[in-house]
Amino acid sequence: MALLRVLAVARKALGQLAHDRRTVAFVLIVPLVLILVFGYGFGGQPSHIAAVVLNQDRGPAGGAFLSSLPSGVLDLRTVDSSSSAYSAVNSGSAWAAILIGPNFTAMARSGTVTLTLYLDGTSPTITAAVLSAVQSALQSAFGANGSSGAVRITSQYVYGSATTPFIDTIAPGIMALAILFITTVLSIIVLVRERSVGLLERLFASPLRPSEFVAGHALSLTVVALAQVAVLFGSALLIFHATFTGNLLFAYGVLLLFGVGNLGLGMLLSAAARSEFQAIQFIPLLLIPQILFAGALFPLEAIPVAFRPISDILPLTYAARAVQDILLRGWGVGAVALDLVALGIYAALMLGGAIALVRRQA
Amino acid sequence: MSAPASTAVPPEFSASPESRSGPAPAISVRRLVKKFGEVTALDQVTLEVPPGQVLGLLGPNGAGKTTLIRILLGLTRSTSGEAYLLGEPAGARGVRTRVGYMPQDLAVYLDLSVEENVTLFGRLYGISGSRLRSRSQEVLERVHLADRSRSIVAELSGGMRRRVSLAAALVADPDLLLLDEPTVGVDPELRAEFWEFFHRLTRAGKTVVLTTHYLEEANRADRVVFLHAGRVLATGTPSDLKATTGTENLEDAFLRIVRARGGT
Repeated sequence: MALLRVLAVARKALGQLAHDRRTVAFVLIVPLVLILVFGYGFGGQPSHIAAVVLNQDRGPAGGAFLSSLPSGVLDLRTVDSSSSAYSAVNSGSAWAAILIGPNFTAMARSGTVTLTLYLDGTSPTITAAVLSAVQSALQSAFGANGSSGAVRITSQYVYGSATTPFIDTIAPGIMALAILFITTVLSIIVLVRERSVGLLERLFASPLRPSEFVAGHALSLTVVALAQVAVLFGSALLIFHATFTGNLLFAYGVLLLFGVGNLGLGMLLSAAARSEFQAIQFIPLLLIPQILFAGALFPLEAIPVAFRPISDILPLTYAARAVQDILLRGWGVGAVALDLVALGIYAALMLGGAIALVRRQA
Repeated sequence: MSAPASTAVPPEFSASPESRSGPAPAISVRRLVKKFGEVTALDQVTLEVPPGQVLGLLGPNGAGKTTLIRILLGLTRSTSGEAYLLGEPAGARGVRTRVGYMPQDLAVYLDLSVEENVTLFGRLYGISGSRLRSRSQEVLERVHLADRSRSIVAELSGGMRRRVSLAAALVADPDLLLLDEPTVGVDPELRAEFWEFFHRLTRAGKTVVLTTHYLEEANRADRVVFLHAGRVLATGTPSDLKATTGTENLEDAFLRIVRARGGT
C-alpha cells in the first residue's frame, strides 16, 4: 500500500466535501438533530431485566413478596451474600439487586417494611421498571390486608443515581447511532457516485490498489467522524450539561472504530449492488433494525424476547454498549474488551470485504 | 492485493519478428478472445503497435474497441490469448504507471476543481511535490485550461470537461495513451487541436491509441485497425487501406472490406 495514493484518495474525498457545503452541514447537523430529538423523552416497556435477590428473611413475608413480583419484568437469580449481590450489579450482570433482611417478616407485621436495593441507575427506563415492580409487589403482598402503613425502600445506586438526567443515559446510544447513520450513508453514496460516472473504472486503470482506495476513503470518513463525535460530545456537554463518569477519549476511539467498520460495510454493499439504486436501498435495511434492536435508544430489555437474538448480530449493539459502559459506568478497556473485539472483527471483515469487491464494479 | 502477473515473455512471443528488432512494441496482442456468456466480443484479435505512432482503432459501436482497451488496462480479463503493454503483461501494476487512460465517459470529478482533478491523478500515478505542480501546470496549459485551474469542473462546458479529462490522462507523462472516443461530441476546432497534440506526443516517442467511430478523422492517424464484430478486418496506414480497396475515403474502404468478408 502506497501512502501517497491513500492520501491522494483521502484528499480527493475531503476536497469533494469541502466544495459541498450542504453535505458538510448535513454531516455536522444530523448528529446534533438526533441528540436534540432523542434528548427529550423516550420510553419503552422493559421486561426480563436481569436482577439478583438475597432473601435472608427468617419468616414467610420475603417469599410472599418475591412471589408477588409481576411476572416477566425481572429475571431473578438468587445469591447468597450481599457482597455477591453488589458485585452482580457492579459487574453489569444484573441491573438490580434486591436485599431482603432477616427481620423482614417481623417488620411486615409491625407495619413498616424496609427493603434494600442496589441499582444500576444508568438507564432510567430500567430503574423505573425495577422500582415499580418492587412497589407493586409490596403493595399486593402487604397492602391488601391494610397493614402496610409504611413501606421504606432503601435504594443504593451502584452506577448513576435517581437523579441521573435522562440525557446522560441516552447520549452514548445516540452518539453510536449518529455515527452509524452518517458513516453508512456517506460511504454508500461515495461509491455510488464514483460508479455512476465511470470514475471507479478510471481510478482502477491507474496503479491504485483496492486497499489504497478503501484506506483513503476510510481515512477521509474518519476525519468526518472525528468532527461529528466532537459535535456530539460538545452538544451533550454544553446544551444538556451531561456529566459523564468515564473517559471521553476512550469513548471517542470506540466510536471511530465503529465508524470504520460501518464505512467498510457501506462500501461493501455498494460494491455488491448491481446498480446505484440497489445500493441506496440498503440504507434503510441497515439502519432500521439497528435503531430498534441494538439497545442504543431503549435498553435491550425493552425489546420483545423473541427479537433479542437479532441484537446479538448487530454491530450497533456492541458499540452502544461499550460507549454506555465507558461513559456511564466509567469502565476501562478490560471491562469492555469483548465489545471491542466484536467491533474490531466487524471492521476487519467489512474492510476486507470492501477491498475484495470494490474493483469488481470498475 | 492482486499479485502482478508473471512478466516472463513466452518464447514463441519473443521470437516474433516485430519484437526481435528495436524497442518493445507499445502494444502486442495475440489471439485475444473475450466472451460475455454466449456473445464473443473479441475473436482472435492479434495486433502489434510500434512505439511512436498514433493508432486509430476503428469500427462501429459494438465492434469490440472498448472491450479491447479494458483488457489492455487490466479492467477485465480476456477469455484467452495474450496482451502485452510496453513489454509487460496487460494490467500489471508496474505498467499501469506508464499508461494514461481517458475513458469514453468523462470520468472526472465534477465537484472538484480542474486542478484538484489533475493533481489527484498525478498522485495516483506516483508523482508529487514540485514535479506534480510543474506537470499539472504544463498539461493545463497544453489543453488551454491554465486560467481555469481553480474552477469547479461542473461549471465548465462539455468541451472543457473533456480537456480536463485529457489533462488527467497526460499529467503523469505516460509512454502510452489509451483514449476511448476522445473526440466524441467535441467541436471540430478542438478536435483538430487534439490531433495536432497527439502527433506532438508521438514525435517525443509516446504512443497514442484511440478509438473512434468517426471514420474520417482517422485519416490523421499513422495507422488504423478496422475492428468489426470482434475481429480485426484490416490494418495499415489510411492511404494504404484506401489504395488497396480502391476507395476515396476510409468509410468506403471499411464498407468494402466488410462486404468482401461477407459481413454486414
